[in-house]
Amino acid sequence: MAAPVVITEASEPHADYSRAARRSRVLWLGKGVAAYAVLTVFAAITLVPFLYLLSPSFRQSYELLTFPPQWIPHSLYTGNFHHVLHQTSYPRWALNTLIFAGAITAITLVLDTLAGYAFARLRFPGRTALFGLVIATLMIPTAAVVAPLYIMISRLPGWTHSGVNTYPGMILPMVCSPLGVFMMRQFMSTLPEALVEAARLDGAGEWQIFRKIVLPLMKPPIVVLGIFTFMFQWVNFLWPLVITTTDNMKTLTVGIASLQGQFVTDWGVISAAAVMTIFPVIAVFLIFQRWFVQASMAGALKQ
Amino acid sequence: MSAETAERAWDELTLSPAEYRRAGARYRQQRNLRAYLFVVPYFVPFLAFLVVPLFWSVWLSFNQGGLLDSAKFVGLQNWRVIGADTELTTSIKNTAIYAVEAIFLVFTLALLLALLLNRYRKGSNFFKLALYVPLLAPAVLVGLIWQFVTNYDFGLINVVLVHLGLGRVNIFGNGTTALLAIVGAEVWRGLGFWTLYFLASLQSIPEELLDAARVDGARGFQRFRRVTVPLLKPMLLFAIVIAIIANFQVFDTVYVLTQGGPYESTSTLVWFIWKRLFQFQQTGQGYAAAVLLLAIILGLTAVSFWLLGSRRRRRPREA
Repeated sequence: MAAPVVITEASEPHADYSRAARRSRVLWLGKGVAAYAVLTVFAAITLVPFLYLLSPSFRQSYELLTFPPQWIPHSLYTGNFHHVLHQTSYPRWALNTLIFAGAITAITLVLDTLAGYAFARLRFPGRTALFGLVIATLMIPTAAVVAPLYIMISRLPGWTHSGVNTYPGMILPMVCSPLGVFMMRQFMSTLPEALVEAARLDGAGEWQIFRKIVLPLMKPPIVVLGIFTFMFQWVNFLWPLVITTTDNMKTLTVGIASLQGQFVTDWGVISAAAVMTIFPVIAVFLIFQRWFVQASMAGALKQ
Repeated sequence: MSAETAERAWDELTLSPAEYRRAGARYRQQRNLRAYLFVVPYFVPFLAFLVVPLFWSVWLSFNQGGLLDSAKFVGLQNWRVIGADTELTTSIKNTAIYAVEAIFLVFTLALLLALLLNRYRKGSNFFKLALYVPLLAPAVLVGLIWQFVTNYDFGLINVVLVHLGLGRVNIFGNGTTALLAIVGAEVWRGLGFWTLYFLASLQSIPEELLDAARVDGARGFQRFRRVTVPLLKPMLLFAIVIAIIANFQVFDTVYVLTQGGPYESTSTLVWFIWKRLFQFQQTGQGYAAAVLLLAIILGLTAVSFWLLGSRRRRRPREA
């Protein structure tokens, strides 16, 4: 409740008013400055470690231990990058990661769009029960099923070429994410029913409806699911760690983690590998930022 | 055309009730078959690589061995052993402490940043982008980057401390700070995501409600407490459950930062499972712990869907 205002003869109302206005403007300005200061501090906290990573990647590893630290090296030492490219299997790890995450993404997109459409728009017995099964397994962690998966893959007979240390063995167990089907069903449910009905009346078969009407309209959600799946799989660590034992089948996450030695670790080399990995991803992100943010929010099951 | 021939032609065209039923059944059969063709490609790998392993996982918890040799049925022995395994109870406790610390920190900070970004829109795009960047790095890489922040010899924190004339701290020398370092890595990685999540939630609050409160004389903090918080609560609860599910699976950062040490002070549930299965070949305990993880996650999934459902049930009344 506002305090009662007492107007006295002697006071000049205009002066009072402008003083109050000035005070509130100062307060408003101060709040704004404080808000942007807080935001800037947190932006710095998130960005500084990346910049701090750049410095050791261009220095000899022993220089890391000198004090005071030389933030900006006298001369750019590129030996760490040379080491990563030629003494480790880094190029192969990068290729493996692209194959691993790329194949999972491609297969997932096909399977999840088909199943998502069926769950959203087609009638068939058992639909509710099957979708219930998908929902119940939505958040099963790999760690909970990693032992049976490993046993399955490692026991596959040789002629299938799908055992431990093979691409099919790495890829196949990861293509059945229920989250993707769930997301696609949610997206497909927004499809106007009238459109599908009209096509059906015009004599289009289900497959034709899917190809000619559903897919073109669903392009944005498919891109979002694709980015989401790729981001989710290229950072995957536990499964590639378990299913690859040879150096040239490792993915980037497993490979870079293996650079950390049991007793001695060359931090210059690690920082170089980290820089080579993360900076290209940041560049791609800056180009396609809108899609990235949408993809990560879709993962939060926002409805 | 005479009336008689027309009638005969009509009779040929129409179906008897029996024929009609048969045609209907044929149509439905074809419709179902086509629908199944859409679903089957997904359900083959889904059953093979998710549903079957789930039940297999439960079966394995009554067995020992099986990863390299053949499995041996041992009844309830694994469950009896892990019931008395202090390393497992420590791991679960560590995971719970980690989850509480990480979620409390990241939610508090993200909510603060989201409120600021919601109020001060100018330049907010830059801050959103900056906060989002750590999310692009795999958790393994975040752990390694975190080494450059927390390392005893060259970590950013220690370099700053020495510059200020204070002594170095050995962050990984003691269990509490080592776990906090892992929490820090997660908070750093997750801050952008949760800020954007809360920002989206805040922007879904109808402006009229806040305006009405303003007209009624509610001040800034009152508006936040009486309007924003109650409307945000369902989303907040759901987010907490999702965050618990995600944080209970922490493994990558433990692997690169501490390997569960010192002693077992940063050993988490998934770290325990991985170590027993693939490092120590004590498969029985690993299998049982995996089923425990499964039970926890399934329970939390049920809670999250119950929350979503109750939000949807409430919606008509709010509108």
